[in-house]
Amino acid sequence: MLNQKKILIVGGGISGITAALELAETGHCVTLIEKKTYLGGNVAKFSYYFPKLCPPHCGLELNFQRIRNNHNIRILTSTVLDTYKKTDKSFEVKLNSKHEFINNNCTSCGKCAEVCPVERSDDFNYGLTKTKAAFLPYPLVFPYKYSIDDSVCKQENCGLCLDVCPYNAISFENKSTLLTEEFDSIILSTGWQAYDAGKIENLNYAFHPDIVTNVEFERLLSPEGPTNGQIVKLSDKKVPESIVFVQCAGSRDINHLPYCSAVCCSATLKHAIIASEKIKNVKITILYIDLRVSGRNEDLLQKAKEINHISFIKGKAGKVNIDLQNNLDIEYEDILKGKKCKIPADMVILATGIVPSTVSGFKTDNELFIDEELLPQGIFATGSVKKPIDVSASVKDAGRMALKSIQSMANE
Amino acid sequence: MNENTGILICTGCQIGDYLDIDAITTKYSGRDKVFVKHDAQLCSCNSGKMIHDFIETYNIDSLIVAACSPRYFAKEFDFGIKTERVSLRELVCYPHQKKHEDTMTLAEDYINMSLAKLAYIKNPEGFVPENISETICVAGGGISGIQAAIEGAHAGYQILLVEKEKELGGWLKNLHKLSPMKPPFTKLTDNILPQKLQELSQFANIECLTESEIIKTSGQPGCFTLKIKQNEQIIEKKAGSIILASGFKPYEAQNLTELGYGIFQNVISSIELESMVKEGKILKPSDGQQPESILFIQCAGSRKQNHLPYCSNFCCNNTLKQSRYIRESLAETSVFIIYNDIRASGRMESFYKEIQNDDLVFLTKGEINKIEEIDKKLNISVKDTLFGEDIVIEADMVVLATGMQPNNDHVLHLNYRLGEELPVLKYNFTDSHFICFPYETRRTGIFSTGTVRAPMDITESMADAGGAMMKAIQCIELVKRGETLHPRLGDKSSPEINFLRCTDCKRCTEECPFGMYDENEKGTPIINHTRCRRCAICMGACPERVISFENFNIQSVSEMIKSVSMPDEFEEKPRILAFVCENDAYPAFDMAASKKLKYSAFVRIIPVRCLGSVNKIWISDALSKGFDGILLFGCKPGENYQCHFIHGSELTEKRAENIGEVLQKMMLEPERIKTVFLEINEYDKIPQIIDHYLEEINLLGMNPFKGM
Amino acid sequence: MKKVNPDIDFIRKVKKESGSDLKNCMQCGNCTVVCSLAGENHVFPRKQMIMAGWGMKNELISDPYIWQCHQCGDCSKYCPRDVKPLDVMSSLRSQCIEYFAVPGILVKWMKKPSLTFLTLIIPALIILVVLWANKSFDKMQLPVNYSAFLPHILLNSIFTGFTLISFFLLFLSVKNYTKHFKKEFRVQKNEISSYKLFIETLIDFLKHKNFSNCTTNQYRKTAHLMIFYGFTTLILLTIYAIYAVKIGDYPLNYYHPIKIIGNLGGLSILCGIVILLVKRLNKKDINSSFFDYSFLVSVFLLVITGYVTEILRFSNHISGYHWYFIHLVLMWYVVIFLPYTKFAHFIYRLNAIFLIRKYKIND
Repeated sequence: MLNQKKILIVGGGISGITAALELAETGHCVTLIEKKTYLGGNVAKFSYYFPKLCPPHCGLELNFQRIRNNHNIRILTSTVLDTYKKTDKSFEVKLNSKHEFINNNCTSCGKCAEVCPVERSDDFNYGLTKTKAAFLPYPLVFPYKYSIDDSVCKQENCGLCLDVCPYNAISFENKSTLLTEEFDSIILSTGWQAYDAGKIENLNYAFHPDIVTNVEFERLLSPEGPTNGQIVKLSDKKVPESIVFVQCAGSRDINHLPYCSAVCCSATLKHAIIASEKIKNVKITILYIDLRVSGRNEDLLQKAKEINHISFIKGKAGKVNIDLQNNLDIEYEDILKGKKCKIPADMVILATGIVPSTVSGFKTDNELFIDEELLPQGIFATGSVKKPIDVSASVKDAGRMALKSIQSMANE
Repeated sequence: MNENTGILICTGCQIGDYLDIDAITTKYSGRDKVFVKHDAQLCSCNSGKMIHDFIETYNIDSLIVAACSPRYFAKEFDFGIKTERVSLRELVCYPHQKKHEDTMTLAEDYINMSLAKLAYIKNPEGFVPENISETICVAGGGISGIQAAIEGAHAGYQILLVEKEKELGGWLKNLHKLSPMKPPFTKLTDNILPQKLQELSQFANIECLTESEIIKTSGQPGCFTLKIKQNEQIIEKKAGSIILASGFKPYEAQNLTELGYGIFQNVISSIELESMVKEGKILKPSDGQQPESILFIQCAGSRKQNHLPYCSNFCCNNTLKQSRYIRESLAETSVFIIYNDIRASGRMESFYKEIQNDDLVFLTKGEINKIEEIDKKLNISVKDTLFGEDIVIEADMVVLATGMQPNNDHVLHLNYRLGEELPVLKYNFTDSHFICFPYETRRTGIFSTGTVRAPMDITESMADAGGAMMKAIQCIELVKRGETLHPRLGDKSSPEINFLRCTDCKRCTEECPFGMYDENEKGTPIINHTRCRRCAICMGACPERVISFENFNIQSVSEMIKSVSMPDEFEEKPRILAFVCENDAYPAFDMAASKKLKYSAFVRIIPVRCLGSVNKIWISDALSKGFDGILLFGCKPGENYQCHFIHGSELTEKRAENIGEVLQKMMLEPERIKTVFLEINEYDKIPQIIDHYLEEINLLGMNPFKGM
Repeated sequence: MKKVNPDIDFIRKVKKESGSDLKNCMQCGNCTVVCSLAGENHVFPRKQMIMAGWGMKNELISDPYIWQCHQCGDCSKYCPRDVKPLDVMSSLRSQCIEYFAVPGILVKWMKKPSLTFLTLIIPALIILVVLWANKSFDKMQLPVNYSAFLPHILLNSIFTGFTLISFFLLFLSVKNYTKHFKKEFRVQKNEISSYKLFIETLIDFLKHKNFSNCTTNQYRKTAHLMIFYGFTTLILLTIYAIYAVKIGDYPLNYYHPIKIIGNLGGLSILCGIVILLVKRLNKKDINSSFFDYSFLVSVFLLVITGYVTEILRFSNHISGYHWYFIHLVLMWYVVIFLPYTKFAHFIYRLNAIFLIRKYKIND
């Protein structure tokens, strides 16, 4: 007989979703909370996974369907963990649930966005595009409904969307509800964000539109992205003739992130291969310190090495310069040749690293990741909030922590 | 036969603007035993009650919900009776013209198709085998197996751990210490084996069989039977699911003669070094003296086409660890490391820094040119170094950091038609092909973990074991509920065979990607229900059409095809039938609709579980009915296959010949059938694919069977 | 094909002197990129870092590029592993001086705080013997008259004599260095005449041209310029003084133009040194060894004691003689022991830059 548990999962990215589903399908009761109005986390923004170069939305679609068809999962968006208290056998948890301007009556008809007069920076595209204050985060979004950015919405001062919504799906209330619930265990899966490349001196990220980060480039590959899936320069929308990838931009650097972010080399190889397939004869240079791809991803490296116009140079890019004509060039040392070089580039992609999105109230270790050993019994962490890992490893870990979350009480 | 059918039409999401709802309501209300109701928003909170009342009032036992895509609100529209969804919003309205005759025809066709289908389906009850075993068998007692056993037992499940050696521990027994496992990732970890064995012994629900080998595995998830040979005895055990944790075997250093192994005594492998350290003596094999310098060669036999083409994921950290061994026990001995890339990824960067920071440790990138022995010292010449020139290093010993290969032979001895062991991906690892579903398996209920699945180190093996055990537990719970496993989770349907008409051709047995069917001596298939993933590829393969599922069968789809209205041959309006795979292609159609991308209203879409489930008879039915062309939308096949059922879409290509025969017999052009591999994010290509295809059909002309 | 034989003592010494975990260098090349001295065909200081880590003493000891470095600190600032190439180069330079100095033991004494006193005792004893032989202790009277106390002819001959010996030994060291350099590096002679190259080098030197290219530690250029020119003025002053003694126009009055220039020069040195010392004491971006400090402090004290001696002469205080003695000891330490202190850098540097130009080095 299954000893059904109640588990709280904090964070609706791939780790959180996976953990939730593994538990719910096994028969346990799961509440998944997410601070945004939608699930998907960082992988929803990806266009391809490495090494298969397959679309992340394929797996997300399957997972969202599993959520839709499962009676054991409850999803609470715009909800964060407020406090928790260990009681005799479980946790008393307070969840802070912010009222969403668009509720579940929404059918995604899109009328609100049509009339909305306010524009906002689209964080889904890392600020490279704008959406209206009422927007659909992405076509496959779950829950499938529009969202209103309450930080820019004019609310009652405008109210145009209220007039056109046929489903009574909009209400402007600025309130949060504190829900008190009991759970047997808690899993933290709050994921990561990209390191701010603007902090890296000498790479001039903030000073030229054609210096982009790897996550921004990922968006360029998406048909929903700033360039409709075309790889073009953001400055003049022309196709780049040369692309330089700067590895370890901010990682393995005591002045920034001392650890290695583990996924950037594979991500760059993926980008390089896709770019070389989409743009004929584009000259691609990858500047690295160590090429850290392992296991199956080695195939990706082999594939990239076979492409003639991709060159690999051991030598960290020390400077990205912008000349008076607004052209870019990169300075690096070609270490194996013993030459200090400067090459022009139409586009520079900084392989910036992962910064864990920790939750306040939980101890982190010396490099700001959640330290599993310091978590109270019954509370677990999974995914990149613990260490920098790729999607496959995150999913693997999510399964494992899901198992741990139903174990903790089994012995009592 | 149905009693009363209810049709609920939603007029929300502008459906009411695109279609003449009154006309539709009138048309169907007139039919015998059909009751129609329309509503402004079927998904609103109040609708539940309204629909309940509707069902009760009219004694509805078959329901059609003509609203949005079946991908949404499946739970909400589940009232315990047979329900069919007509995707008016995504398949009828958004991609087509408002208030157009063709759009109306399209809507009516879909409703007719659903009415036809309902007559031939029933809600599955779910097959639950008798005597389900809730034991999980873990095959292999290395760290992955041990960890899996501990995790499973801790969650309250009975575990059977089978290990062929006398002692548990696998390769862990050979290790002196382990790489750092926790922050700040600078200290070596003591061998965890004693602690793990202790943990293992604390669980009463772990049965451990050592000196035991599985000689036969038969059965199905929930009811596996394992014949285990322990010494000379044969034991029979039952298990609900199985985890393969048979570990790895090191790459044979004997293959590395170009690096001096087997030629010079003092060239050893990293495994041999580990044994030396464990015994407490690092001595030169040639003369038993202490070495003054030791040189490690990384990627020895790895990342090379003529050896192991992949990276084994652990050797860099392992060499760093072994460097620490040497430096701790031999204070004056230098360590040289020649590498391609130092793959101390993630948090292990701290470990790399820690080991580097030693006066007598020297690292350089480089390629080994050659190794010679001069005056009893090994001279290793290295090119492409960081010094900008070739160098020669003199060392007393050379250690080859060799990789790992999966230990996948003769472990499970599956009594499956399709092979005795788990199918392998590239390089013989039993890995899943899916990034998002790393434990996906082609033998339902049999999972793999650890280094047999993919190259990994101990920390990852332990994590992997937990993940695999979660899936193994889940498998048992799903079987108990009569549900299938990934990807059609929640599906309770089961395959049935009409044996009277079965000709024992074995096509289903061979084409099932999961080895669901066994066969008897005659070759008649035997169904193992819980192995089934409900893809219905067997149904698509069967030339006699004897296989069916309660809610998806030959007849239900044939009737759908036949229920489509066929325009007069003079109307010059083609009819295209599109079989669309539910996994990637169907959601792509939905997304195209949400973007209001337009395509021809002459296409009739039938969602299928997998392109492999498309039976030849449907093609002939469609062509006989008068369809001018047939499109098959499925997931990508090939090396980087996306097909959720492994080779469903690939089979479509293979079966194209058979389908070609059908067309030939009917004297129709083979170009009328087209297979399109569509990825979920290629929704923007749909209009152009369909439009282009219609142009081709136009050139071919109308199907001469129209109107017959 | 270079045979590798790491000199472990060398590695340990560099680590100790620089205070750097230089083994942690991951050879990313960032330092080369930010270094304004690294040119297209020669990489610096990335290569020196791995060579230092591998104990390649022979190659590094005569590497002229380490002398090009003027410690601007860009490399250390941007180094992702914090291995302080700046300080490693500094250590390599001091080891070079130590290696080639004749006799090398003097450098060893200079580097160790506990043995430095020996280097002060030698000149102190020599001067005391001279003073005793000259019966100078009887001549310590008012008004303060340093030339009565120790006749300038005597002083100048002794100091000039020892200076010449010392500089000859320095010349031998540099010659040895150049010989070592030619052996280790594949050289290709430049067609332009040596003389012309030397003048070019000198001019660049005087302009501190390369210093401006560094972005970090800009203050170093200013401070160094102040010390450099301060010193030049004082050298000129000393040479004039020797001449003035000969023609009898000595000592100079405080309003004598040469005296004024000299005093200004001294002030310039003091300012420069204070800036450098303060920054070094801050320790944020540069690691300082005793070798660094002793040089700066000794020059500082030399100038201070010079002023004090001068002031005490003008104010006619008997302790002037004692300060004069200290000043002379320090003068010996700074000038005569130049080949054994950090001061030697200016000769080695001049030579190294000249060699780089003369022999186009192919790495």
